[in-house]
Amino acid sequence: MNYENLYSSLSLIQPEITISVFLLLIVVADLIFDKNKALIPFLALAGLIIASVQVILQVTNTGYAFPFSDVYLSRKGMVTVDAFGAFFKLIIIISSFILVYFSYVSDEIKKSEKNLGEYYALIFGMILGMFFLSSASDLILIYVALELLSLSSYVLAGFSKLRTRNSEASLKYLIYGATSSGLMLFGISIFYGLSGTTNLYEINTFLASHQINHLTLSFASILIFAGIGYKISSVPFHFWTPDVYEGAPISITAYLSVASKAAGFALLVRFIKSAFVTSDDSLGYWEILSVFDWHSLLILVSILTMTLGNLTALWQNNIKRMLAYSSIAHAGYMLLGVAVLSNQGLVAVLIYFFFYLFMNLGAFFIVMLIANKTGSEEIDDYNGLGYTSPFLGVALTLFMVALIGLPPTAGFIGKLYLFIALVDAQMITVAIIALLNTVIALYYYIRVLKHMFLTKSTVETQTVSVIRPNIIFIIFMLAPVLIFGVYFGPVVDFAKRCVQILGL
Amino acid sequence: MSLYDIIFYLFALLVLVSAFITVTSKNIVHSAFSLMFTLFGVAGIYVLLGADFLGVVQLLVYVGGILILMIFGVMMTNEITNVDIKTGTTQVVPAIIGVGLFAGALTSMMLRTGWNSQPSENMDTTTYAIGKLLLTEYVLIFELLGMLLLVALIGAASVARKEKE
Amino acid sequence: MYELLYDIFGSEIIAMIIAACMPLFLFILPFALIAVLLERKVSAHMQDRLGPMRVGYHGILQTIADILKLIQKEDIVADTTDKKLFNMAPVLVFAGSYAVFAAIPFSGAFIGSAADVGIFFIIAVSSIVVAGILMAGWASNNKYSLLGAMRSAAQIISYEIPTALVVLSIVMLTGTLSLNTMSIQQTAYFWNWNLFGGAADGFVQLLLLPFTVVAFVIFYISSLAEVNRTPFDIPEAESELVAGYHTEYSGMKFAMFFLAEYANMFAVSAIAVAIFLGGYQSPLGYLGNTIGVEWLIPYEQLFWFTVKGVGLVLVQIWLRWTLPRLRVDQLMTVCWKYLIPYAFVNLIIIGLISLI
Repeated sequence: MNYENLYSSLSLIQPEITISVFLLLIVVADLIFDKNKALIPFLALAGLIIASVQVILQVTNTGYAFPFSDVYLSRKGMVTVDAFGAFFKLIIIISSFILVYFSYVSDEIKKSEKNLGEYYALIFGMILGMFFLSSASDLILIYVALELLSLSSYVLAGFSKLRTRNSEASLKYLIYGATSSGLMLFGISIFYGLSGTTNLYEINTFLASHQINHLTLSFASILIFAGIGYKISSVPFHFWTPDVYEGAPISITAYLSVASKAAGFALLVRFIKSAFVTSDDSLGYWEILSVFDWHSLLILVSILTMTLGNLTALWQNNIKRMLAYSSIAHAGYMLLGVAVLSNQGLVAVLIYFFFYLFMNLGAFFIVMLIANKTGSEEIDDYNGLGYTSPFLGVALTLFMVALIGLPPTAGFIGKLYLFIALVDAQMITVAIIALLNTVIALYYYIRVLKHMFLTKSTVETQTVSVIRPNIIFIIFMLAPVLIFGVYFGPVVDFAKRCVQILGL
Repeated sequence: MSLYDIIFYLFALLVLVSAFITVTSKNIVHSAFSLMFTLFGVAGIYVLLGADFLGVVQLLVYVGGILILMIFGVMMTNEITNVDIKTGTTQVVPAIIGVGLFAGALTSMMLRTGWNSQPSENMDTTTYAIGKLLLTEYVLIFELLGMLLLVALIGAASVARKEKE
Repeated sequence: MYELLYDIFGSEIIAMIIAACMPLFLFILPFALIAVLLERKVSAHMQDRLGPMRVGYHGILQTIADILKLIQKEDIVADTTDKKLFNMAPVLVFAGSYAVFAAIPFSGAFIGSAADVGIFFIIAVSSIVVAGILMAGWASNNKYSLLGAMRSAAQIISYEIPTALVVLSIVMLTGTLSLNTMSIQQTAYFWNWNLFGGAADGFVQLLLLPFTVVAFVIFYISSLAEVNRTPFDIPEAESELVAGYHTEYSGMKFAMFFLAEYANMFAVSAIAVAIFLGGYQSPLGYLGNTIGVEWLIPYEQLFWFTVKGVGLVLVQIWLRWTLPRLRVDQLMTVCWKYLIPYAFVNLIIIGLISLI
């Protein structure tokens, strides 16, 4: 590798470098300002602002970073910086901004204020891992980034030591995570054994030009999907989700449900597209190599995921658990968008994810505010909250409506584009199943609203007063959900622009 | 049968037998110690495959580091006498079926796939090449691993700390 | 060596086995015989005593008598021990310390394995000793044994870090992991030794000199701790733990621990010699070169290597009878608060200088 290559590569991974530098800064600041940790969230914020500017620039400034110098190999690199990756990085950055505010408000985190340095350092570790996941095009890098993300999130899930459920969440997360990353590593080793390379583009060329034992390849692909499926919590790798979501500090739960899922989806799409797709046809459908039937696998998994997520969510009495199962169901919907294996489906996934970010984090934020005050996450304790704290009640209602996917919220637009993509691809049966699932979802979301508004408030119902910054924040979260529900043109255009994945 | 073969089969036998004991032993200390022999045997096989540096790393990291810590942990957390630390076996039949299917699939894969292979003659020492690759082509991964270890360190400290109400 | 044996016997397997046994019979056993006696005599004279005097002239056959006694002793295995592990532990400990000898260059002509990973292999394989010690402590089912084993493991693992850091700095300087190559680089005269800055140019060597000396001191201190020698002998501190992890052992099994301990003493000295003190190279030039007898050189090298190694062993014995034992917390403080930071700084400085 010559230095010119190195410098151009480094300029392509600026956001990652920023994040790393700020990780180190946070660690050092934690040491220097031993007594007063109030500075650290602002340091984190500064890092995120710089990184976000750099990520936005990446939408147009694309290329391959860290190419192999070997002349026999193609010049495509280890990291692919493109608009698609930038979109997911943007989602990660936005949710990180929200997370910083979340943590600033959350009581659970405030109680561990002495360890704020560790908290933000680990969050930056997560962000770094997710950034590399969304633009990695080399199996080794994918694995290392996945481990970086996982290790940080294991610890964060058990961050608050005051509740026993925290450690349980952390341990469960660790055990499932270790198993699935082991499976993924095994899959990677088989891929390497077959093709002799870890670069996704090289694997693509190899698969297109050689005769391969399909059983072996399918086995390896499924193993790699196990690693990814764990991150996006799809069935049958979802077992950790409810326990971890319930046990972890609520800010981390919210973050896991959006950012870590985004990284998983970015990885899944890039893995399929870079390693298995030869070209796009005129309508934007992907010409996929016939070595492994991704279409059937994804459809099967997504139907299972959404059905199981929705059906199990029906029985939950803890709202965090319910939201956990609902996030499993949402992962199912989005997997359907990937299963279409076309640019149209991908646009739908991107739109869906963008809206899901706001509505899910908004719902979690209100749950956290209520938990801060009442100390409870049981749905039964929400009785009559709509009357005692009308603002929160209405806001939560709107987020729930968006999560169901009803107009006039943004959730509806996300689902709409998804169903259009499904119908265009002649996947009518699947579309109907997804529609039925939405109906099931209606029940459990509405149940929360029923408790809030239709059940009479009892003596115990406390009034949750909201301070002004929180009101502003909730309105800031509500705005996209409502505005994009009516005026969604810009998001769709942006998503269409970001669907381009380099490498074909 | 050449010396190479004999050594290979010795190591393979060591790995298999000790792995079997690791899984089946009821005494967790015995399991831990036989795991050590498994890892040691794997290191030997690495060396036989021409990956001398990797073999030594395996020895250093797994036998010298992870396993010693594991044994240490087992000894720290339990009383010395009177308490038998046991592990149990449940769900034997489903496990046998599952593992059997998995093993069958793996074996058939192993035999029927045309693996990408390299000639065995050029068994040069690998240290220099690994060092060079790590700092040129895989420099990104090398640096990222540094961050990973830093995060792991912070995480370990965070997990270990106590918190007062 | 192996090639020569292969020529003689014509069979790979026999040649390999004999080559593998040679350090044991040629070196470790005679060394242990001498070193045990040496330790007793030196300690006696340091304390103004005479030491063993009765067996042979001034007691020189004392060790042989002791060995005969140990062989005849009953092999006691207490009822509540974990039999399998109890019997395996001494073998493992000895195997670990013996494996180190595979990579030690005794002379230019006699090296078990001139593998490229030499010193790295030694650091890795000596960790097996820790496992053996833990195994012995656990299997004895005796609280003194277990405490001794835990202390020993904690100590060895901690002190492996400064050792490895120092070795790393020298590896950076010499650009090789192979002890043989390192020895070759320190050829000719003693000012080319790594202890004195290595075979660099005048000015760079002068810059390196203080740091390589510091590196040697750190290495020697931590190697003392790794072989559980005083002042770091808390794992077998007699006043607290009877005899530490080998309290329950008797007869030949005890002899194996004993042998392993002396093998280890020489091994760490030999590594220090190979890394810092010019390996098997003569400090003053070779007689064989001067009088033109080529075949004499390997024997001269063996002589110099032994002299340097035994010299360092003597220093160990001297320290043992001079310094008091450290407490556990002091032991950890020395390692984590002093040796490791100094080793790190040293590593960085040597790295910077070697860039020149």
